[in-house]
Formats: sequence, structure tokens, C-alpha cells
Amino acid sequence: MAKQKNYGMVIDTRVCVACSACVYACKSENAVPEGFCRDWVVQETEGAYPRLRMENRSERCQHCANAPCVTYCPTGASHYSDGTVQVNSSRCTGCKACLAACPYDARYVHPDGYVDKCSLCKHRLDEGLDTACASVCPTASLNLVDYNDPEGKAEKMMAGKEVYRQKEHAGTNPSLYWISASNKPGA
Amino acid sequence: MIQGQDLNRRDFLRISSLFLAGSAAMSTPIGRTLSGGGDALAGNGEERIVHSFCEHCFWRCGIAAHVRDGRIYKITGSKHHPLSNGRLCPRGTGGVGQIYDPDRLAHPLIRQKKGGRVSYRKATWDEAIAYTAEKLYGIRETYGPEAIAMLHHGYGYTFFKKMFMAFGVNKFAKPSFDFCCGPRHQGYLLTYGHGAGTPEGVDIVNSKYILFFGTHYGENMHNTAVQEIAEGIRRGLKIVVFDPRFSTLAGKAEKWLPIKPGTDIAMMQALMNVLITEDLYDREFVAGHTVGFDELRDEVEKMTPERAAEITDISADDIREVARTYARYAPAAAVHPGRRTQWYGDGTQRSRSMAILNALVGNYKMPGGVVKYEKYKLPKSETHHYPEFEKKVWSKYPLFVDTKPENSIASHEVIEQTLDEKIKAWLVYGVNVPETITLGRKIALEAINKVDFLVAVDTLPMEVTGYADVVLPECTYLERYDDLDGGRPYRTPFVALRQPAVEPMFDSKPGNQIAKMLAEKLGLHGVLEEDVETYLDRKLKKAGSSLAEVKKTGVLLGKPTDLYRKPGEKLTFKTPSGKIELASSKLREAGFDAVPRYIRHPEPPQGFYRMLTGRKPMLTFGRTANNRFLNELPTARENEVWVNTHVAEKHRLSHGEYVHLKNQAGVVSEYPIKVKVTERIRQDAVYMVHGYGHYFKKLKWAYRKGASHNELISHTEIDKAIGAVGFQNNFVTFIKEA
Amino acid sequence: MTAETTAAATELVSTKMNPNVIPHLHIWEWHIPLYLFLGGIAGGLLVITSLMIIVKRKFGIGPKDEGDGCPCLAVRIGSLLSPALLGIGMLFLFLDLAHPLYVWAFYTTVQPTSPMSAGSWILIAFFPLAILQAALVNKKFLRERNIGIVNKLIDWTEDHLTVVALVNAHIGVGIGIYTGILLSFFSARPLWSSSILGMLFLVSGISSAAALMLLLAPDDEKPVYSMIDANAIWIELVVVGLFVLGGITGPANNSGAMMHLIAGNYPMAGLPYMLWFWGIFVALGLVIPLLLEFLEAAGVHIRFPQVAPVLVLVGGLVLRFLIVFAGQTYHTFM
Repeated sequence: MAKQKNYGMVIDTRVCVACSACVYACKSENAVPEGFCRDWVVQETEGAYPRLRMENRSERCQHCANAPCVTYCPTGASHYSDGTVQVNSSRCTGCKACLAACPYDARYVHPDGYVDKCSLCKHRLDEGLDTACASVCPTASLNLVDYNDPEGKAEKMMAGKEVYRQKEHAGTNPSLYWISASNKPGA
Repeated sequence: MIQGQDLNRRDFLRISSLFLAGSAAMSTPIGRTLSGGGDALAGNGEERIVHSFCEHCFWRCGIAAHVRDGRIYKITGSKHHPLSNGRLCPRGTGGVGQIYDPDRLAHPLIRQKKGGRVSYRKATWDEAIAYTAEKLYGIRETYGPEAIAMLHHGYGYTFFKKMFMAFGVNKFAKPSFDFCCGPRHQGYLLTYGHGAGTPEGVDIVNSKYILFFGTHYGENMHNTAVQEIAEGIRRGLKIVVFDPRFSTLAGKAEKWLPIKPGTDIAMMQALMNVLITEDLYDREFVAGHTVGFDELRDEVEKMTPERAAEITDISADDIREVARTYARYAPAAAVHPGRRTQWYGDGTQRSRSMAILNALVGNYKMPGGVVKYEKYKLPKSETHHYPEFEKKVWSKYPLFVDTKPENSIASHEVIEQTLDEKIKAWLVYGVNVPETITLGRKIALEAINKVDFLVAVDTLPMEVTGYADVVLPECTYLERYDDLDGGRPYRTPFVALRQPAVEPMFDSKPGNQIAKMLAEKLGLHGVLEEDVETYLDRKLKKAGSSLAEVKKTGVLLGKPTDLYRKPGEKLTFKTPSGKIELASSKLREAGFDAVPRYIRHPEPPQGFYRMLTGRKPMLTFGRTANNRFLNELPTARENEVWVNTHVAEKHRLSHGEYVHLKNQAGVVSEYPIKVKVTERIRQDAVYMVHGYGHYFKKLKWAYRKGASHNELISHTEIDKAIGAVGFQNNFVTFIKEA
Repeated sequence: MTAETTAAATELVSTKMNPNVIPHLHIWEWHIPLYLFLGGIAGGLLVITSLMIIVKRKFGIGPKDEGDGCPCLAVRIGSLLSPALLGIGMLFLFLDLAHPLYVWAFYTTVQPTSPMSAGSWILIAFFPLAILQAALVNKKFLRERNIGIVNKLIDWTEDHLTVVALVNAHIGVGIGIYTGILLSFFSARPLWSSSILGMLFLVSGISSAAALMLLLAPDDEKPVYSMIDANAIWIELVVVGLFVLGGITGPANNSGAMMHLIAGNYPMAGLPYMLWFWGIFVALGLVIPLLLEFLEAAGVHIRFPQVAPVLVLVGGLVLRFLIVFAGQTYHTFM
């Protein structure tokens, strides 16, 4: 029997240009209503002229292994599946506790009355496809990975590079790894 | 029949909502998806994927339109097309926002005067075509075919061009030549004998060191180039960006050098100076394959890094370091030609400077250097016998590019000739004249007022349609066939097909049908007679394929070309000398500098700042202005004026406040613009993205969003060699809201 | 709403647009503070009435009974109000749900880690016993109505009112604490993530409940509630102090959040948080009523004795609004 999947993403901020193609691809794929988004891009610039540093990132639900949203959900609507965090909209009352619980502000209330967020395109993963965002990404900054994959794609991508996770000190054990923009080219 | 003369005082007309798609579009299922009501995942219909190519920019990537229940619910990059490799930029994904735009033009319209009131009335296609044909015919008979011009932008223009050529008209102008690709194309042509290409012939993926001058990839989302830069970075590419603004690309750079605007040629001369004086250039290559080295050396000798440092604000140490590193990595190093290459009227020479910097290090046809892609060899179709034209090229500029047949005159010359009453009629295909940079908005409107007859072919009620006598609603690129995209060289030569993913909506029609109807009405025989599918099939069959075959993947692929030169390979260049012309004989003959010379450009007046422009990654100026799908993101909704922190302090501007901009000629922006206080720009310039500040209410999403850059252009510099228009000598200051 | 913010040396441009989290968390408006306030009062009323019943029955202390096993008027009204107010509060909670019709989902599962799941079950436990207590303390009135099933219920349990009250006192404490715990488990929200919040809401609920009973009680019953109220306020002041100190001495997230509340100029209904907190909640809602009740107890004639309890109730309401709003307007855990 195949090993249980443990999906996540390795996001290479060295190459991301914050173009937002991932956002639009997601909106089309998942029919995200106008005024909302499941993923978003951030362009962060630090320093003072002319010594500036920039990092571009495409952000979304971190699919935490210890997800406060799942912990807090009173109905079990938010739950774990193959290393991802999913929302079962037919059990969601829209109490919004998960929005308050999420340290990444990754969720929103869908106008149809349930809480929605990045599903890591679970419907596509189940068909063996890449996520909509990763497959459109012109720079291949977004990479879907399975941490249980015996070939170790994720480890190989991150080897020898400065890698971080966001708000690790929140104790969430997020499944998104970020290759820092501060890495030298070709690191 | 209404007399055009009565109406030639061309007041801007509002098109009644009755003639637009309006609620009809919104009630379609995709309308609901756009507004959030749809659930694409719940669709139980079969998914159909149509492979075509994009129309959101000239890069024309391969797209896959995903159709379910008769509607396109998403657009992704075609995995078959070599320019997209399955990936796509944000604009490409935004086609759904264009096809299902509720503001789309839905019916042909004719301007009429009734009881002293001028208005549009809904017309049938027969009426609109008959009226247009009658007017064009009348003008040709009265003033000759040279009184008719076509301004075009977009790939559907070919059919109209054929129609016009059979009609005896050959004044074709593409505004993008004037300010974007013209200087670069001609600069490379003069130097190498071939254009820089789209995609540009730079082997980015294998390069170790690339210099970019002002071009801002990342904000400029040319899919393949961005893909290659990303792959290059992964493989170790080091980037140097010369830009007054800390662009996204500068954020990727090993070195960002905030050069003083208008001094690029001085910088490039200094780089050449270091390469030559420190003997870092490729002597063998220069001796064997170039002409004019001595002349170049004499010119750049004076431009020492120290002198350039004073001009450019970049230290001599940095200049030396960049030149040395560039030489060290060469031939796997290059200067990227960039895009939008006309800034100050010396764009051709600026582009040539880049070409020369490449030539000096001998990177031609070398891994990581400048490469020459091949075209797909599509057998030529039998040519129609067109009437003899009085002139093949109408431009007055001696080196106006003559290898680009879609252009026979610079677009600003169309404006000028209209003001001189030499041109009486325009067919405007997808060019929003008032907001497209050709001498600025004011002069464009003056010309529009002069023209006797204006027919606009467009998908949306852009500003220009409000001035037209006839508006012909074309369907979008997702609803039509166009001619094959087969003329462009690339690593993998290709021919791409544009095919409809869904039927045309409303009463709109494909350009090929509109042109065909016009041709018939004008009595032009033997041109555009066959149906477009037959035409495409015939063309593809000559290439050993068929329309049915190519429809499956949207492309016909050739063999990837061998890009690199073999040891001892003889290199030939289609220049007068057969070599790379460091000193251009054509420029010399036409009375211009044979080698690039640095010219000082005006400084901003006290309290004013040079107005720089560029784009956002999700927008292509006019073509996406009203696309509510693309404009939805907070970063897309409006343009901001980037102001350096110190400048903001001086003018007491705070981040996020709205100001009006006033240029050196006293023109004040009609709408306010949001201030972005930032460390990311020099203190002598401000930056604003072009394509905002639309004043046509019918563009519901674009109306009054941000300020118009075009409105603030009061001064232009024309490149006397090729006729391109530079507009960066416009300066603005801030007027705080009362 | 802005897409970007310019901090000292960091320029952050984001395309995120979800109005629930941009520019800050925005999920709860008036429903939740009102629910927390009413829930707090309901819990407080249950605690006070239960204790009054027990103390009277076991030790004979307290105002004179109605007779026939029915306690004094305030206890009878308080017992009735407790489930009624909680019912209204829960109606607000229900209205706040984005999909109220799925409320059943709470009751088809037990999520042991979710305070809200626990809360929804506590609420279920609360009602039968609170209503039973309300019925028993008003049995004289109910017997007169002579409703068969009610009579049976009273017959069956009337001897056990003390036990019911004892259990209810605990449930009351549970409800009071729960209204705070609901927020304090959100470690992503620095203002809320303080374990003393449960205590604060409990004490505030008790003082508000005492104030309410003080308003409703006949004059002869008033002194006891005034005493309860004054003691609750005094304890509440201590707990508020601990809450504030715990915040400002905490790590950056928490101290920042606390300063956002106690020294912030972010407006709520036009007034800055700082003013609401110190001026309205602490001064008007706690200190002044405490003084008034102290003076009254010391025999000073207070012209408008209703002022103190009304201020306490206003303070309790303001506290819920402040905590719920300021917790949302401060940035997410960093």
C-alpha cells in the first residue's frame, strides 16, 4: 500500500515576482467570489534608499500539522486530510472561530455562509494534478510537494539553502516552506 | 444617408447602456462566477479544452481555454506552446474578465444627428457596413487612398489590412512602434541586421550575468522571458539592474544601480570605455565580425568611469566593477535589449549601445549570450495582386523601419497628417487613441476632431469609440479565428492558431468577418472571399498539416534550433558591411551619428520631478483597463504616484493621500492619484503606471480609477532617424487636495 | 481599506483583500459582545441566586423568604432572568453565524479541543437546570396556574432545590468563565490570549448580575446585593489590574495588544479605546459605583441609588465591546 500522502509546498521566493498569476488562477479554478481570495502575493521591501532588499511571496493557508483552526472548530468542519487542512462546508456553521484562531489570517467567510480557504486544490491532488497556482506560476516559485515522497523532492529543493517557515513559534508546524530571497543566485 | 460633414465636430458621445452588453452578460453563468455566485466545482458538464493564443499582449502565449457548459471558466497556459510551457501570466488568466465584461460593445452603432442632438443609434451590421463602405469609398474617390489610414493594435488587424490593401490604402500605423519596440528593432537591425526579436534573442537560462537597463521584468510579465529569468536565477544567473526605481527585477539583482534618468547612453559608453581601455573585450571577435571599432573607441574614450559617474550618479567603482564582471562572465553574459525603448528621442542609439555592448564581448550565438532564433518555415501563400501604391512607406523618417509590413507610417505622423488635413478617414482597430501615447491626449483629440470619418473596431467602449462615426463591435479573441501566428523566431520555431473557444456573444463579430463584409461592400474581388476556416486550412495544408490537426494543440512545432556557433563557423549579418556595425553605415549615410553619442537631456524644473512610467504585472494598459477580474486585486485597482520619502517630506505628502499632478506645461491631471511614499525611487523622479484615469463612464470599472499618464504628456521628442516618440521629458509636481 | 502599509523601514504590498482579515480581523460585531455580556449576567445571576438559596436554606442568612419554600423576590426574578437572558444572548450568537441553519452541526459531535464545542454543550446543560430552578423558586405562582406537567415536575424535585442550586452555582461559574475562555484560547489574537480573561468575565458577570438584582430588588432586599456588587467590583478591579499588568509585562505581541487597548487611539463609536477603557469602563463602570456603594453602605444618602448599578451594567457591557473589538483591531500574532 502506498504511503499516506503528506502534502505541502516549497515556495522559492528567489524567483517569485509577485505577479499574482497564482491568485487569478486560484480564483478561476475554485470560483472564489469577487472581493475574496484564497491566496495572495506579498512584496516586502526593507532598508533605505539605495540599500534595499526585497522578497516576493505567494501566500496561502499553511496547512499546519498542528492547526489552531482544526483545534478550535466546534463541529469538525475543519479537518486534516493527507497533510492538508480542509473545510467541510456542509458542517460549517460560520461561527468564525477558525478565523480568529488562524495566525496567518488565511481564511474568509464565503458569501454562501461557510468559511473557505486554500484547499491546496485537494480536488486536483486527488486526480494526480498539480495545484492551480503552482501549475500557472510563470517562475515555478510555487512547488507542490509530498513530504512522504520517497524521492525527497522537497528536501532536494531546499538542500543547501536558507529556508524558513512562517510563525513557527506559533507552534503550528506549517507545511509551507520558504526558500529565502536572501539566498545567492544558484545556491 | 446621414452626412458625415454635419457631424464632424466630434463631441465626445456617451454610448447608451442599451447598446452595451450590460445585464445580458451578467446573467450568463460566467457572469455569476465573476461576481461570485457560480460554483465551477459543481459543474457536471464535460470540460472541453480549446488551445489558442492570448491577446492580452504581443507576446501571444499559448493558452488553454477551459470550457464547461458553454462557458469559459478558466484560462491556463498551453502546455503545447513553446512560449507558455503550460504556464501563464496573470493577464492571460484574465481573459474570462474580458469576454464576460458586462460593458462590452454589443451592437454596431452609428453616430446620428437628430433635432440638433448628436447621439448613437443601434444599427444592423448591414447598415453599419454599408455606411462605412460608402464613407470610405467617398473619401478615397475625393481625396485619394492616401487620405485613409488605419491605426491598429492587436492580432486581428491582418484582415483589415488585406481589405485596405486591395482597396489601395496602405497607411498602416501601430502606436507601439512609436514608443515601444521601434527603436529597439531598428537599433538591432542597424547593428546586427536582424531585430532583437519577441521573445528577445538572449539565452537567459544559460547566462551568468545580465545587465538590464530600465526594463522591469516581473512587472512586465512577458511569460517566457520571466520563466527564463527565474530558471536562470536557479542556475546561478547574476543580474544587474540600472533603473531609477527599485523595480521587482532590481529586487532580484545582485546590484541595483539607481541611475539618473536619461543617462543610459553615458553609462553604456563608460562600460564600453572600461572594456576597451582595460582590454577586456573580445579582440578576436571584434576584429573578425565587426566594423567601426576605431570610430567607437574614439567616441567612448572620453567617457571615463569618472566622467560617467558625474553624469549618471553611479560611482566609477561600480561602473568598473560591472564592466569587469561582465567581461569575466562573457560570453555567458549579455545586455538585455529591454522593451519600451523610446524615452528621450535617442532610443535607436540607446538600443544600439546595448547591441554594441553585446558585440564587444563576443557573445553572439554563444551559450548565455545573444542568440538568433529561427522562424517556422511556413510556405508563402499565393499573394493577392494588390494595386500599386503611390508609396510603400509613408513615413518621412529616413530610417523608419521597412521590414515590418504592418507599419508604413509612424502613428504620430497619422496624427500630424490628420491635423494637416492630408488624412481624412481613420479605421481604428483596437487603439484607444486619446489614451495611447502618440503626442499625448490633447493633440490626439485635436486630430480626432479634424478627421472626417472615424470607424472604430473594438470590443469595449473605449474612449476612442465615443468619437467614432461608426462603432463595429468585434468579438474577443476567445470567440474568433485570426490569422496564424507564424512569423516569429524562437528556440522552438512554431506556428500558432487562434481559434474560438465559444461562439461570439451578442451581436459582435470576428474581425475576419467584419473585414470580409467591408471588402464585399467595397466591391473588392479576390480578397477575403473564402471563409476563414478554409483559408487557415489551406495555409496549414501547405505546411503539411491541416486546420483539424492544429486545432487539437493550437500549435505546429518545428525542430528546436541549434542556437550556438560552432568553432570556426562563418557568421553573416544582413548589414551593408555583412558584419556587426559598431559604427552604422546607414545612420552615417542618413546624416546621423554612426556611433552612439551621449546627449544631455533637460533637467526637471525646481520643484518638479521627471515622470517615469511602466506597468503592473496584471495589466496591459487599455486592453485590460476595464477587466474586472484582473482589476479586482487591491494592487490593480488604481495607479499610484511613487514619491521618494524625502521628496514627500518636502512637499508634505503622506502615504496614501490623493493629489493631483501638474506638469511643466500647466496641465493638471483630471483625477487625483494616490501617493506612495517609498524608498524605492530616486529623488529626481516620480513613477506612475500608464493606462489609468479613464474618463469614459461606460468603462464602469476603469472610470476615474487613478490618474492618466497620457494626459500629462505635453512634450515629446521625436527620434529623427526612425520617427519614434520619446516622452520622458515631462515633469510633474503635486497639487494637494484642498 | 488599504493594500499596503508603510512601517518604519518595511514596505509591504499585499494583494490580500478578504474583508474578514483586512485591514484587521473583522468577524464579530455587536452580536458577540452582547452575547458575552448577557451570558456573563446569566452566569452571574445563576451563581448569585443559587448561593442565596443555599445560604438561606443552610445557614438562614439573607432576606426574608416569600414562604412556601419560595425565596425572596430578587432571587425569584433573578432565577427567571438567568435562562431568559442567556436565551436572548444565544439568539444573538445564532444570528452571528454565517450559516445559522447549520447550527445542528454543534450537536452531532464533541470536539474535545474546542472551547466552543464545550461551550455549546454547557449551554445545553445549563437550560434544564436553570429553568428547573426558576420553576422551583416560583412554585407558588406556578401551582396557582395548576398545569399538570409542571405540577408533576415540582412534586418530583421540590425537595431537592438545594442540590439543584448547588449544581447551578457551578454551572453559573462555568458559564461566566466560559464567556472569557471563548476568547482567551485564541493564541493568534494577542489581546485575548490571556488566561485571566475567563476570571475577568466571570467577576464582571457577577458584578453586573448583582447590579441588575440591586435594581430589581425591593428596598429591604437591596443591601445584600449592594454588598455582593461592591465585593465583586473590588475583586474585578484587582482582576482588571492583573489582566493589564499581565499584558504589558508580556512579550511584544501581548504588550502591544494591551497598549492598543489601554493607550490606543483607535476609535470605537468615535471615542478612542483609551478613553473607553479608563474613562468609561474603569472610572464610570467600576470606581465610581464602588465609591457610591461604599458611601451608601457607610450611611451617606445617595439621591439616585439606581446610578451605581446602572453604571456597573454599562461598564460590563463596555468591557465586552472593548475586549471583542480591540482584540480584532490589533494585529495578528507575529
